Amino acid sequence: MDVPAPNPHAVETDANPDRVSDRDDQVDRTVEVIPGPALSADERGRVDAVNQHWSQLTGLGPEAAFGHGWYDAAHQDDDERLREFWQARVRSGEPGTCEVRLRRGDGHVRRYLLRAVPQLDRDGRPSRWFGQFDDVEERRQAELLLAGEKQLLEMVASAHPLPEILDTLCRLAEESAPGCLCSIVLIAADGHHIEHAAAPSLPVTFTAAIDGRAIGEDCGPCGMATHLNLQIVATDLARETRWQDSQWCTLALRHDLRACWSTPIRSSAGRVLGAFAIYFTEPAAPSQVHQGLIGRFTHIAGIAIEGASREAALRRSESFLAEAQRLSLTGSFLWRINPPQILWSEQTYRIYGLDPAVPVTFELVGTRIHPDEAAWFAALVDTASRQGDDLEFEHRLVMPDGSVKFLHVVAHALHSETGHIEYLGAVQDVTERRRADAVLGRLRAELTHVSRMTTLGALSASIAHEVSQPLAGIVTNAGLLLRILGDEVPDLDSTRESAQRIIRDAHRASEVVDRLRALFRRAAPSSETVDLNDATTEVLAIVAPELQHTGTTMRTDLGVDMPPVRGDRVQLQQVIMNLLLNAIEAMGTLEGRPRAAIIRSGHDAARRVWLSVEDSGPGFDPAHADRLFNTFFTTKPGGMGVGLYVSRTIIESHGGRLTASTHSGGATFTLSLPAESNHPPPNLPPKGQA
Amino acid sequence: MTSTPRAQPHLVVVIDDDESVREAVPRLLAHCGYEARAFASGLTFLASPDLNEAGCLILDVAMPDMTGPALQSELERRGHSIPIVYITGHASTSIPHDPDWDGPKHCLLKPFADQALLDAVTRALTSRRS
Repeated sequence: MDVPAPNPHAVETDANPDRVSDRDDQVDRTVEVIPGPALSADERGRVDAVNQHWSQLTGLGPEAAFGHGWYDAAHQDDDERLREFWQARVRSGEPGTCEVRLRRGDGHVRRYLLRAVPQLDRDGRPSRWFGQFDDVEERRQAELLLAGEKQLLEMVASAHPLPEILDTLCRLAEESAPGCLCSIVLIAADGHHIEHAAAPSLPVTFTAAIDGRAIGEDCGPCGMATHLNLQIVATDLARETRWQDSQWCTLALRHDLRACWSTPIRSSAGRVLGAFAIYFTEPAAPSQVHQGLIGRFTHIAGIAIEGASREAALRRSESFLAEAQRLSLTGSFLWRINPPQILWSEQTYRIYGLDPAVPVTFELVGTRIHPDEAAWFAALVDTASRQGDDLEFEHRLVMPDGSVKFLHVVAHALHSETGHIEYLGAVQDVTERRRADAVLGRLRAELTHVSRMTTLGALSASIAHEVSQPLAGIVTNAGLLLRILGDEVPDLDSTRESAQRIIRDAHRASEVVDRLRALFRRAAPSSETVDLNDATTEVLAIVAPELQHTGTTMRTDLGVDMPPVRGDRVQLQQVIMNLLLNAIEAMGTLEGRPRAAIIRSGHDAARRVWLSVEDSGPGFDPAHADRLFNTFFTTKPGGMGVGLYVSRTIIESHGGRLTASTHSGGATFTLSLPAESNHPPPNLPPKGQA
Repeated sequence: MTSTPRAQPHLVVVIDDDESVREAVPRLLAHCGYEARAFASGLTFLASPDLNEAGCLILDVAMPDMTGPALQSELERRGHSIPIVYITGHASTSIPHDPDWDGPKHCLLKPFADQALLDAVTRALTSRRS
């Protein structure tokens, strides 16, 4: 290492009578070669050497710095801390570091890191101290800036209000570049104006005057920067020639602002969102450091503004979703099985009529489930939580006011890699639809009934009319015949003629009856093997809606190993349906006891297959038993009675019987038919070839 | 009744679209001393000279060309007031709504007893004379 040239410091230390000169030389040389401000002190901490860097930096020469004089270089707020640190080193003999602000000779204050290192004697005790100062101002600035940026980004992430974020950003920028005043303007929703967003240090009269100005080249630096998507720098507003029409410079100067640099704030996609402006009270041009800061702050501002608008959009879409859920009466839910957790949307809470503040549990849900479905629902939840299959079901709720709601639930099971199951689902209130369905079903049933009755009514009226004509002729001719026979001299020709006409009219009446018979077997009955139980089950499926809306339960007790019958399946099913509908109608007026009917079937030793329908209705007067099957007999106010007549005709055409009996708890209609193996007779081809 | 046969017509006109009735009823009436004629529709009756001779009508309610009540109102419109005995084959008659028509009160339901018809005719002719 080169030995530095003798310097005045060394000379001055030599002047100290307490010092051994060769040792001082050595110390001075050591201090002098340290490439930054440095000093040295004796074992008691008294400074006895400083280097040139120190003197240049602090303006304190050796004389001023020696002893405890060097403390004066510290910023007044740090003076005490510096003394304590230094004395602590001396007391403990341990090295250490301390960050301290030093006042430079030119008056600027910068941060330095002081490292204190002891020189040890043979016994290991400090015999001397060295102190070296490293300029950490820029690093500290960078750290502060970084911490500030982190804080800002955290504010963005936690969705702080945008004005608060931008205000903090301005303050941070002002700290980072001493002497500047910052402001942020945004482009208004209309895209044509700027609006004031943040300017913590600018006069309100100034920001208010800027707020709402139209975007354009004449609007001022910010309006121009947003308009042109360019940084606009005005280093001295007193000499500025732009924005004269809008008198912007006059306004700024009146508020003691002399320089303004405005930089567009852009979205990640490059769209201009607003402008970040820095003002100075003195003329100023941006340095590279300034430009670096501006770049970082406009970037963060862009993130914050975009984040806020995304947040607003999200809130809008959330409220839109909530509104859509409310309108469609559809709520959503998340059901996590392990650990158990249920999350509901607001609308789901509304559907279940529960307080959104209360966490959902199945116990809570259970208080709403229809009692008839409680066990079923518990089983469903249990199965779902073990198997994790997709769900779709309907169930009923009973609300506190006793009303019943119908819900349609659809849920998709999500299986995590760790084997956990989550259900994501929707629940829709379909009460109105179910009610409408029920009404519709009732209307349909009524319509069917009415049209059935109308057809039968018209048919029977027409039959009555057709038959009554020849009967009128018969009765009149017979009356005339008797009168002629009562004459003193009966006119035999006349009696003969009357008798002939009676015969003719009787044939006419008989033709009408034939036509009626033909009508009933219009479609020539097909002959097929019919399982009466199967046929009954099919009919039950058809009348199920009728059973449901009348609240009728139809139990079946069908015989086993029943031989089939041979006949027209459709006709036989018409008979069965007629018996079922009659039973339902007969019980329609029942109040206070269940509307229950039972269908039984079986076969007997005589190989006759039978089927009975027993209702719990009012029954009928046994005196009327024979007339029940008469064409026009009915015990029902709205009925024509033709149904039973036609039914008996059909059954009899199949070689069977249809009978009625009444008992205390209702009426029973029983049809019996020969089993197929009795038919065809032995002299006909075996079945399968018919 | 016998003094001035022309002035007191006792011609009974039967109007029915059914042949059995058209044959049987006039024969019964003739046997009982009435002069009777039959028409298959109201329109042929209106076109015949018997229109002015008829002392009483036995009129079917439901006929294809012109219903009984329609014939009645046409007769009234022309100034003929002829007593009418209605007959019908419909249990619940679907007569056109006419407030003046007093319905099945004077209506015999087919098949009717011969005496019931004769009684009705006698009443109708009596009402005509009174």
